[in-house]
Amino acid sequence: MNDNSLGKYTVSFGLSLAITSLLSALLVVLKELNEPVLNWMKHATVHHWVTHGIFNLIVFVVLGWALAQLNGGAGPKITTKALITGFVGAVVIGGLIIAGFYLIEG
Amino acid sequence: MSNFSDVILMTHVLFGMLCIIASVWVFVDVLNASEANQARIKGLSVAVAVFMWLAYLIGGYWYVVFYATDKALILKGPWPFAHNFVMEMKEHVILMLLLLATYLPIAASSNLFANRSARSVVLWVAGLIVLIGMTMDGSGAIIGMGAKVALLAK
Repeated sequence: MNDNSLGKYTVSFGLSLAITSLLSALLVVLKELNEPVLNWMKHATVHHWVTHGIFNLIVFVVLGWALAQLNGGAGPKITTKALITGFVGAVVIGGLIIAGFYLIEG
Repeated sequence: MSNFSDVILMTHVLFGMLCIIASVWVFVDVLNASEANQARIKGLSVAVAVFMWLAYLIGGYWYVVFYATDKALILKGPWPFAHNFVMEMKEHVILMLLLLATYLPIAASSNLFANRSARSVVLWVAGLIVLIGMTMDGSGAIIGMGAKVALLAK
């Protein structure tokens, strides 16, 4: 028997992946252009890049879990096409933001 | 000390390549998803995440502990873009790759052989991991060449 509905964690963590990827790319620009932010991230762990990775992981897990609690615990309602467009688009845009930033500023 | 650094770096590359190979395997298996290969797809998806995390942690250790010397060398050499653009881009894009690899086993936890939507999601995630993984691998080669041409120019 075929069931084409996506599991709630597939949807919630897929959306979390999209949002976290974009936030991560924006954090690159923020920390590189903002000395206090970069300094804080450097001192929060052994390296700003380590802090960045931990930030991403926390956002991804917390957001994925929180989104799964929506709609009375059924998770977000979204089509498969919208989910795929969301995380593929976010990863591509995030990658372009990062590459574009270092192409200009590097 | 330099040998230890090289072993660490090669181990990072090894796990990165294993992550790419396992992702290709997931991709092909999902194209031919059936009840028979369901368990293998789930196991391989977990392997992709484990390989990627190992590549990330080992590469991260090398980057934090050893890269400063190479960085200084590259910046003084004829290919400063190998750090200013390639390494800076790589070290941040790889964070998205880590998220994709972590998400893969979650997406692959559905009954893929009976669920076309779930198959589509897994195919896109595995495909992105392969493409970004190969970009990261090529970037690593350029960074290595950046250090090499800097040494040759001395």
